[in-house]
Amino acid sequence: MQVQNADLKADQKAELSVSIGQHSSAGLKQQNQDFHGSVASTGQTLVLKGTALALADGISSSDVSHIAAETAVKSFLTDFYCTSDAWSVKMAGTRVVSACNSWLHGQKKPGASDDRGHVCTFDALVFKGRLAHLFHVGDARIWRLSGETLEQLTTDHRVQLSASENYLGRALGLSNTLDIDYREIGLSSGDIFILTTDGVHEFVSPKEIASHIASAADLDAAARTIVAAALEKGSDDNLTIQIARIDHLPGREAISILDGADMLPPAPLLHIPSEFEGYQILRELHASHRSHIYLAYDAETDRNVALKVPSADLRGSADYLRRFAMEEWVARRLNSPHVLKAGQSSREPEKLYVVTEFVEGRTLRQWMNDTPQPDLETVRGILEQVVKGLRAFHRHGMLHQDLRPENIMICNDGVVKIIDFGSVLIEGVLEAVPGLDDTEILGTHQYAAPEYFLGYRGTELSDFFSLGVIAYEMLTGKLPYGDKVSRANTQKAQSALTYISAASLTQRVPDWVDGALARLVHIEPVKRYEALSEFLEDIRRPNAALRPDVKASFAERDPIRFWQVVSLSLAILVIVLLYQRMPA
Amino acid sequence: MSYVAPQEFAAKMIDAGESKIFMSTKDTLIRSYMAGAILALAAAFAVTIAVNTGNFLIASVLFPVGFCMLYLLGFDLLTGVFTLAPLAVIAKRPGCTWKGVFRNWGLVFCGNFAGAMTTAVFMAIIFTMGFSQEPNAVGQKIGQIGEARTLGYAAAGWAGLLTVFIRAVMCNWMVSTGVVSAMMSTTVSGKIMAMWMPILVFFYLGLEHSIVNMFLFPSGIMLGGDFTWFDYLAYNELPVILGNLVGGLTFVGGMIYATHYRTSPKRNAGYETAKVAAPAE
Repeated sequence: MQVQNADLKADQKAELSVSIGQHSSAGLKQQNQDFHGSVASTGQTLVLKGTALALADGISSSDVSHIAAETAVKSFLTDFYCTSDAWSVKMAGTRVVSACNSWLHGQKKPGASDDRGHVCTFDALVFKGRLAHLFHVGDARIWRLSGETLEQLTTDHRVQLSASENYLGRALGLSNTLDIDYREIGLSSGDIFILTTDGVHEFVSPKEIASHIASAADLDAAARTIVAAALEKGSDDNLTIQIARIDHLPGREAISILDGADMLPPAPLLHIPSEFEGYQILRELHASHRSHIYLAYDAETDRNVALKVPSADLRGSADYLRRFAMEEWVARRLNSPHVLKAGQSSREPEKLYVVTEFVEGRTLRQWMNDTPQPDLETVRGILEQVVKGLRAFHRHGMLHQDLRPENIMICNDGVVKIIDFGSVLIEGVLEAVPGLDDTEILGTHQYAAPEYFLGYRGTELSDFFSLGVIAYEMLTGKLPYGDKVSRANTQKAQSALTYISAASLTQRVPDWVDGALARLVHIEPVKRYEALSEFLEDIRRPNAALRPDVKASFAERDPIRFWQVVSLSLAILVIVLLYQRMPA
Repeated sequence: MSYVAPQEFAAKMIDAGESKIFMSTKDTLIRSYMAGAILALAAAFAVTIAVNTGNFLIASVLFPVGFCMLYLLGFDLLTGVFTLAPLAVIAKRPGCTWKGVFRNWGLVFCGNFAGAMTTAVFMAIIFTMGFSQEPNAVGQKIGQIGEARTLGYAAAGWAGLLTVFIRAVMCNWMVSTGVVSAMMSTTVSGKIMAMWMPILVFFYLGLEHSIVNMFLFPSGIMLGGDFTWFDYLAYNELPVILGNLVGGLTFVGGMIYATHYRTSPKRNAGYETAKVAAPAE
């Protein structure tokens, strides 16, 4: 029994493990224009970035395409691992491949033919968490072993001119913009993925590849036999094959993003004055049932810092502690003057607490209490800085999710900073640990976007909504939908919500600013601004499209009713016509 | 450590009050309906014990089971929202208005009443074998309780109304202390212990709880108690609701807000001018 338990534990702790076999051969050609590679990462890199394989096939008409293939594979496998941990694989992968494409395209001499340039196909496969991510351009293929044959997961970008003539429809280096096929597939233990260039898959059938893999001793041997089989069948191109087998998938519970930081025991509530892990605790700044914040002096850096400790109330909750530990992770990755910075200490913490820079100033809530009737320009100034801070989050694939006046500080020198990262959603982490924070609405009733109350996961547009509510509240002291948003937890209830015009509440808000606010806090995410720059522009200069005095057309306001009316009138018309046609 | 610092639960009380105001109509009604029904069931349970054992103390000691159940299941009693919801308005939380508080109270009242009535009808059926026989001993006892606590007060005139009001004030003082004490603990056993004591005190002292009464009196009428719906509403339920409101708000909500929340340090307290004391080198 005990042995079984130990096994189970080991099993749950195991991380993603992948075996890879690969082989490449020039075949009958002089030169091998194919290039392939793989990176088997470990530790935190494996959790946050995963294991990657890449394969490129240079076009045969060009004598520099082998350079293109090599560059594409090498730059993907290095640059991909240098992107932000917070990015999703899709974002990181497409950015890296696009950058490489631009470089390859830039090598082309003016006037030279496309056939002679740095052009190659490109395929990459990234395994992260319990998902496989596929990137594909060109006519190499990614397959998955399915029973006794292979299932092709990609579509060849090949244009067929005649039976014998065809050319690549899409490839790396062909033009300055690139359209990459991206796809993600759920993994199960034992899955086998195969990447091949046309020198292999045009000569060996999927069934034969599958049977070679099944009978070979290991994956490298399988790769070699398949290449040999293709050569035997008369392949006249370069031949490359990569085979990856998922040996073990990580358990859903056991993935640690923070490398144990969330396993530290929570720091105790501190006394004043006292010493704590090298910090001198000077004063309590804030206490609530979520956390306690102290002002502390760090002799190592000779600075005052803010030290945040988990609350007694929530220190029993594992989810809360993980999010708490994540705050520092987030702070370290964001570098914006409008976002609170992480502390600089080099000491290893022994307990769980968060150290950030100490900001002297007041919260936006306090500012709103102090300035009940701000002028428009001051509000614009603050909003512009908040937007800059928020952009830093969004650029890193993070959502703040709990933007509210208490979480925005205005420093004494006028700089506005976003603080508190306890609710941040990180795309890259979400991929590594799916199902994280699925159940809870982390934001606050007044500022959380309506889609959260329908049970959807937030998007950048949800943060936009919160920002809009804050802007509205700064100008009017009220909320744009009163207290009704969080009560409306059905689609129907939400469509009944009406925006209370800010211009009707105060003279200080002109109609056109009101129009911009209404659009930013629209109940339907798709009708909000797509970018905050548009919003900032619209509260500076009147936008003719946002005139609230011009009512939206009936079809726009209530499309369902509009089409019902249209259908009804058509139906009546049909009946009338039928009646007329009837013989008297 | 399973005890929460008072500052923490003061803020938590306000958050709890805020979330009551922002709760959807459906959720508010369901949660209050269930709370009313469970509490009424516990009252029926306690009266049964008292009649069967002849010892009211045993009944009082066991009555808190109902309250613990409904609290742990996250259901809302009118007595609890009397204490919590106004705190969000007093603390000036954005979007929290008296209108929202009254809406919440109104909905919780309806839910509690419907829940208690459901149990009352169910228990009346049980006590009278589907209204086919005279009520059993427990049923008769419930009828008598109702008479004493309506017509008894009515007979004493204004003094009676004052008594019922004060009994209701003291009742919610104890019951809301139970609600708030539960927030101080982070474990289920701790929460139960913290709630048990004040509820026991209130029940043994025979104080007036608006939701318990929503069960006792309608059942009393159904089981042949000699008093009318008007007697019940005018000489009991209405003064009890007012008393519960005053008791919860002043003795529990207001006090904890004033001493633990208002005095706790704010993030921005005095930063602008006061320089940080130079740390000892």
